Amino acid sequence: MEILVILIPLALGLGFLFLLAFIWSALKGQYDDLETPRYRMLLDDQGLKKISHHSKKEEK
Amino acid sequence: MDFCLHCDEPAPFPLFSEKDREQANPFCCEGCLTVYGVLHSLGFSDYYKIKAQGEILKPRSPVQESKSKFTYLDDPDFISEYAKRGKQDEIILDFYLEGIHCLACLWLIEKLPEMSPFILSSKLDLEKSIATVMLSKEGKASSVAVLFNQLGYRPHPLKNGQELDDLRLKEERSQLLRIGVAGAAAGNIMLYAVSLYGGASGEHGAFFNLLTVLFAIPVLTYSAFPFYRNAWMGLRNKTLSIDVPISLSLILGAILGVVDLLSGKTENYFDSLTTLVFLLLLSRYFLQKVQQRGLAASDLNFFYQSESARRIENGKIREIHPDFIKSGQTLLVGNGEFFPVDGEVLEGESEVDNSLLTGESRSVGVGPGSVVFSGTLNLGKEILIRSTSGARDSRLGKILKNVESGWGLRSNIVTISQRVSQYFTVGVMGLAAILYLYVLFQAGAEAALERAVVLLIVTCPCALALSVPLSFTRALRLAAQNGIIIKSDETIEKLELAKHLFLDKTGTITFGQVKVSEFSTQIPHQEMGNILLSLERGSRHPVGKALFEHGQSLGGSFQEVLERREETGVGVSGRIGGSFYEIRGQRIFQDGKVIASFKLNDLLRSDSKDHIKKLREEGLIPMVLSGDRKETVALIAKEAGLLPEETQGELGPEKKAQLIKSMSQTVMVGDGANDALALSSADVGVAVYGAMDISLRSADVYLTTPGLGALEKLIVLSRETMKVIRRNLILSLSYNSISVALAFAGLISPLSAAIIMPVSSLTVLLSSYWGTKKMRSLWKS
Repeated sequence: MEILVILIPLALGLGFLFLLAFIWSALKGQYDDLETPRYRMLLDDQGLKKISHHSKKEEK
Repeated sequence: MDFCLHCDEPAPFPLFSEKDREQANPFCCEGCLTVYGVLHSLGFSDYYKIKAQGEILKPRSPVQESKSKFTYLDDPDFISEYAKRGKQDEIILDFYLEGIHCLACLWLIEKLPEMSPFILSSKLDLEKSIATVMLSKEGKASSVAVLFNQLGYRPHPLKNGQELDDLRLKEERSQLLRIGVAGAAAGNIMLYAVSLYGGASGEHGAFFNLLTVLFAIPVLTYSAFPFYRNAWMGLRNKTLSIDVPISLSLILGAILGVVDLLSGKTENYFDSLTTLVFLLLLSRYFLQKVQQRGLAASDLNFFYQSESARRIENGKIREIHPDFIKSGQTLLVGNGEFFPVDGEVLEGESEVDNSLLTGESRSVGVGPGSVVFSGTLNLGKEILIRSTSGARDSRLGKILKNVESGWGLRSNIVTISQRVSQYFTVGVMGLAAILYLYVLFQAGAEAALERAVVLLIVTCPCALALSVPLSFTRALRLAAQNGIIIKSDETIEKLELAKHLFLDKTGTITFGQVKVSEFSTQIPHQEMGNILLSLERGSRHPVGKALFEHGQSLGGSFQEVLERREETGVGVSGRIGGSFYEIRGQRIFQDGKVIASFKLNDLLRSDSKDHIKKLREEGLIPMVLSGDRKETVALIAKEAGLLPEETQGELGPEKKAQLIKSMSQTVMVGDGANDALALSSADVGVAVYGAMDISLRSADVYLTTPGLGALEKLIVLSRETMKVIRRNLILSLSYNSISVALAFAGLISPLSAAIIMPVSSLTVLLSSYWGTKKMRSLWKS
C-alpha cells in the first residue's frame, strides 16, 4: 500500500490543476458564448477549403 | 416549387440575375437578388457554398433593404449614448441583425474587416444575432450600417448597456464556478468514500475521511452559498422555501461530519451532500439558461420598428434617432414608416393604419391639422408633421410607463414547490422530534440527538428540489422548439390554473390586415389573376397586398406592365398587352369599362373557430375584447363561434385592463399597443405573432407562429407539465418515507443515504424527461 503515498498526491494534484484550468477559463469568459465558437472553428481558411473540397466530391 | 437561393423561402415567381442564363439560381424577390449581386461584386460568393454546407439555424424572411442612409448613427449625441470606447478610443457598437440564419452568415459578418479599412474587428453572437463591431476612431458608424444593409441584414443599433451586461456576466461566471467547484469536489469525495465503504480502516480510513471533509468545505461554504442566502431571504419574508430544508440538511451534515472526524469516527454524509449541491446548482443553471434565451429573443427581435426619423432643420433633412426628437420639431414621415412620436400633420394627405395602437381594423385618412400618434403606420404618401411630444411622452410612451409601473402589481402565486416545502419542513421537523423522544427513553440523550440529526440530513428533499427545475426546463425547451417563448417558469403554473381567456380581435383572431372578402368579375379567373398580380406586384399598400394575394389564389402569372403608376389614396394603373387597366375605388377598369368589383375586410383566421372551440374544451371561458367598432367585433365574434355576451367592442386600453383585473385566473392574448396594459394586468399575458415591442415587453409568453394554434398547445403543455411535477413529488416523497422508516428503525447509514439519494434523483430525472404520453404525442405532430 506504499504506492498510495505517490498515487494520492498525484491524483489530488492533477485534479487541482484541472480545477484551476476551469476556474481560469470561466473567469476569462470562455463559457460566455457557447453557441458561436463551435461554428466559427469550421470557418478558418483551412476549414473553409476542407468544406468546399468536400462539397465537390459530393457533387460528383 | 423553387426556393430562393438567398433566404430559402419559397419563390413561386422566381427572379434570375441577368448573367444567369440557365436560370439555375432562383430568387424570391428583388431584395435577395440585389444582395446576391453585392456579394458577387465584393468577391464573397463563397457565401452560398458555405450556406449549402452548414445547417440552417434560424429561418429568415426575404431581404427588405432599408432606404435609410443611417446618417443618424454619426450623430455625436447618438455615439456617446450608444457606443462603447476601446483602449485607443475606437468606437465599439453592438448591432442586432435581422436575417442572421446560418453558418455562412457568421463567416460573412466576421469578414467585415476585409471590406472596409475602418472596421478593425467584427464578432457575431449567432444565438442572439448580435454583431459587435470595432471601428477606428476615424470610422463612421453609418458606413457599417450601410454595409450590413447591403449584405441583406437589417441593422438595429443596441444601446450601450455595459454596466448591466458586465453585472450579468459576472453573476453567470460565478454560478459556473460554483458548479465547477462542487462537481470537482463531489467527484473526489466519491473516490475516497467508495474506499471507505469498501472497508478502508485504520490509518487509511482516518486519512480518507479527513480528505472527504477537506473537500466538502468549499462545497458546503462557497458552492452552497446561494441556498443559504435564498433560505434566509425566504425566512425573513416568512416563507419556507425549498431551500430551508436543504440548507438545514447541509448545515447539520457539515456539523455532524466535523464532530465525527474529531471523535475519530470514519463516516460522514459528504458524498451524498456534495453531489446534491452539484446537481441542484446544475438544474437551476439550466432552467435559467433556457429562460434567458427566451428573454433575449423576445427583447430584441421586434424592438425597433422605427429606427430612424427624418427631421427638417433649416430647410435640410437630417436623419436622427427617434430618442432625440423633442416636441415642436418638423419631421418627414414616408410611406411604410411608423410615426416616431405624436404629432400634427403640417403638409400632405395620407392614410394611417392605427390597428396596432387602437385595434381599429380600418385605415384612417389624414390631412393638414389631423393628429397622428406614435406607433401608427403611414400607408400613404410622405407627409410633414410637427411633433407634439418626445419619444417618451407620446401616447405610446405613456402606455409603456403605465405598463412599467403596473409591472409589480401582477399577482404572484405561491408556487407548487413553496407549498409543498412548507408542509415538508414542518413534517420532517415533527418526525425528528418524535424520533428524538422515542430514542431518548431507550438509549439516552446523545444517541437520540444523533439519530434525530441523521433523520434531518437524509430526508433532504433533493429529488423534490431537482424535479421542479428539470420539468420546467423540459417544458420551456419543448415550447421554444415549437415557437412559443416563455419568459418565466411561473407562467406554466399560472396557465394550468387559467380559467378566463381574453382575446384581442385585430391581429389575434383575425389576420390583422384587410383581405379580399368579395370579388365579382365577368372575365376568366386566370386572366383576372394575371392583371392583379402584374399591377400590384411590389405594392406595399394593404389593399395592394390583399389584391396580389387574391391574384395568386386565382392562379395568375406575371405579365409585362407598361406605364405602371401607383398613387396613394387613388389606386394603381398600367398598360398590359395593349389594354389600359386601372384599379381604384374597389373597382377594376379595362379601358375605362368596369370589369370587376371587390370588397375588403379584416377576415377571421380560418383556424380561429376550431382553436377557440378546443380551448373551450380545455375548460377556458373565452371573451373577445376589442378597440374596434362594436358592429365589426360582433360580426367577427359570431363567425368565431362566440356568444354575444362573450364579446365587447370599443374598449380603450384602460377599460380592457380594468375588466381583466376584476376577474381572477386570467389569460390575455393580444398584439397591439392597446393591449399592452391588459397583457400586464392579466395573470398571464400572451403576445401573438407580429405584436408590437411594447406588448412583447409586457407579456409573459410570445408566440412566434400566427394564430391561436400555439396557445392551445401551450395550455396542454402546462397542464401536462404540472402532472409530471406532481408525479415527481409523489416519487420523491416516497423515497423520503423510506429514509424516515430506516431512520426510525435505526438502520440508516451513510451508505444507505448514498444509495437512496442518487436513485431518487435519477428517478425524477427520467420521469421529467419522459413526460406524459399526451405531451409526447402532441409535440411529435
